[in-house]
Amino acid sequence: MEFKLEAHRIVSISLGKIYSARGQRGGLKLHKNLLVSLVLRSARQVYLSEPGCPPEPPPAPAGHPEEEPPPRTAAWAAEEPPLPPPPQDEAGRDCPGPRPRRCCCGENRGGCAGAPPPPHCPRKRSAGERGQAGSPLKKPRREEEEPPPLPPPPSPPCEQEDMETGNVASLISIFGSSFSGLLSKEPKGRRRPPLDGGEAAAGTAPAEAAAEPGQICCDEPVLRTLNPWSTAIVAF
Amino acid sequence: MGGDFWCVFLWHGSNESLPSAEAVMFLKFSLRSVFYGAGGGNDIQWCFSQVKGAVDDDVAEADIISTVEFNHSGELLATGDKGGRVVIFQQEQENKTQSHSRGEYNVYSTFQSHEPEFDYLKSLEIEEKINKIRWLPQKNAAQFLLSTNDKTIKLWKISERDKRPEGYNLKEEDGRYRDPTTVTTLRVPVFRPMDLMVEASPRRIFANAHTYHINSISINSDYETYLSADDLRINLWHLEITDRSFNIVDIKPANMEELTEVITAAEFHPNSCSTFVYSSSKGTIRLCDMRASALCDRHSKLFEEPEDPSNRSFFSEIISSISDVKFSHSGRYMMTRDYLSVKIWDLNMENRPVETYQVHEYLRSKLCSLYENDCIFDKFECCWNGSDSIVMTGSYNNFFRMFDRNTKRDITLEASRENNKPRTVLKPRKVCASGKRKKDEISVDSLDFNKKILHTAWHPKENIIAVATTNNLYIFQDKMN
Repeated sequence: MEFKLEAHRIVSISLGKIYSARGQRGGLKLHKNLLVSLVLRSARQVYLSEPGCPPEPPPAPAGHPEEEPPPRTAAWAAEEPPLPPPPQDEAGRDCPGPRPRRCCCGENRGGCAGAPPPPHCPRKRSAGERGQAGSPLKKPRREEEEPPPLPPPPSPPCEQEDMETGNVASLISIFGSSFSGLLSKEPKGRRRPPLDGGEAAAGTAPAEAAAEPGQICCDEPVLRTLNPWSTAIVAF
Repeated sequence: MGGDFWCVFLWHGSNESLPSAEAVMFLKFSLRSVFYGAGGGNDIQWCFSQVKGAVDDDVAEADIISTVEFNHSGELLATGDKGGRVVIFQQEQENKTQSHSRGEYNVYSTFQSHEPEFDYLKSLEIEEKINKIRWLPQKNAAQFLLSTNDKTIKLWKISERDKRPEGYNLKEEDGRYRDPTTVTTLRVPVFRPMDLMVEASPRRIFANAHTYHINSISINSDYETYLSADDLRINLWHLEITDRSFNIVDIKPANMEELTEVITAAEFHPNSCSTFVYSSSKGTIRLCDMRASALCDRHSKLFEEPEDPSNRSFFSEIISSISDVKFSHSGRYMMTRDYLSVKIWDLNMENRPVETYQVHEYLRSKLCSLYENDCIFDKFECCWNGSDSIVMTGSYNNFFRMFDRNTKRDITLEASRENNKPRTVLKPRKVCASGKRKKDEISVDSLDFNKKILHTAWHPKENIIAVATTNNLYIFQDKMN
């Protein structure tokens, strides 16, 4: 399904950005990395809440939305009242024309085949919280609230043409310790990050891996072990 | 503005039987003001005036302009670049015979403000890039400005020297000391004229107060204090005191894993010395009053527009992040710039802006690509004209946009060396979002996203604007008849 693919792509790109940000001159840019981590969280949410790699997208736009399980906004409910599920006919009406509702990354998809809009991840604070003093909202830990994961499909081929298992292993080892793993490594400019294992298999140095974000990581098990956004910027 | 011109016109009319040349010119200005509205954005015909900087396409990274600022009189124009240098241009005194053009800006002073440093504790290099320059109002013959990089703010004094003392008894003219025993007569040293020399010297260094990257500095209307803001904190300084600063805003969470927003810009109110605002990456602006408490973590006002749910995407958060906030000269309004729009807020209304102007809405469908190539993180600035009637901001392809708040008209212009004959009127540009491209329009896909205008400045009194492309500074002014 296109959204899952798109979300996957965005996750790869985001991870690549975070990874390459480590070595940049002037130190970690907190603002940019925060934004990247928010996108990463969003995309991951979509990716994990969509069903596993489906067969060909159905030709008929109508009717498809009904099969979609309701978006798993349980994790977000703690922060804000959940939004109602999107109306059924809207998807049918939208496609193939441009979608007024969120189409994954907002791009107009003329050929979009009636997939429903991804679940909402409302992030604006509700009125009640607006009165809160300027300190940022605490984000509840998402991981515990997520429903048990679907059994991971065996490397769905439609999404992982260029799986670099070596890089995946490396990144798992880094991200496994919730981004503090990221930060314990030296910045790129000074020393090569001591990634374990995997480089030999991939044959590409981590710097180059970062340059090709599409190839980094991103199969479901990795995404689940990611301890996300929340911890993205513990740089300082 | 129109009112002033009328007064002058009447004065001339009553005292002279035949209108003088000056009176005729005033008449033209006043009529224009009356019929077209003073400062009408589309009724100003913008002309190329000057361009500064290297011509070649190969841009040295150190030459990338990172900030542009006119001083309070508009006579001086300062730019900062990624290499840590500050270049100040001075406007030539107007030539009385050439009444159809204003003075040109020529280089007045160039100095290295910041050097790259290394933080040994954190193993991080500190960039020398000048993030912001702010001028102090002129109090004596010298000029003062604050310049800042990511970590350190410096107060620079720029002074002119056009005389030098000659005739010392103990020193030769070249500075070598004379043997006192060879001095047989005494003379009084005198000042003799010399070629004008402009010197810049650092008078204060305000360091070690910011853990995160400084994004803003703003001088208070008391002209004694100023604030500096980084991603999570805002500090208040006294211009005379470098070893102490007061923290007035701190949004760092106890646990950094819970970080959800950062400070993106901050500015003091132009008239009220206890009021300042700061914007956040979540698209909110908080107005704080320093009289309320020492630590202004509780805002006095919170400006936030509810999100339009139909525009939701993965990138909604990023594009709502505010990249610049500027008070109007009057102090009644403030303007914010997010990725796609400019919003004008009335300080008395918190729940939505009073005006919203779309800068490049055609980019909304391209957000994914812009995220990929990092353009979505570009921080565009915005500025007001002297009368607060027009606002200006930059875009891609070296385009910049102006919005006239009174006529509600807008214009897109391009900073390009192709129009570089002085007094060439700039042709309005148009971007074709989709569908058939008309002649002279440019399609979204042909836009050059490497050519971005992030920094613009408007002369405080005249219709003269400074627009920075990557490494060139363009000066445009309105066509004076």
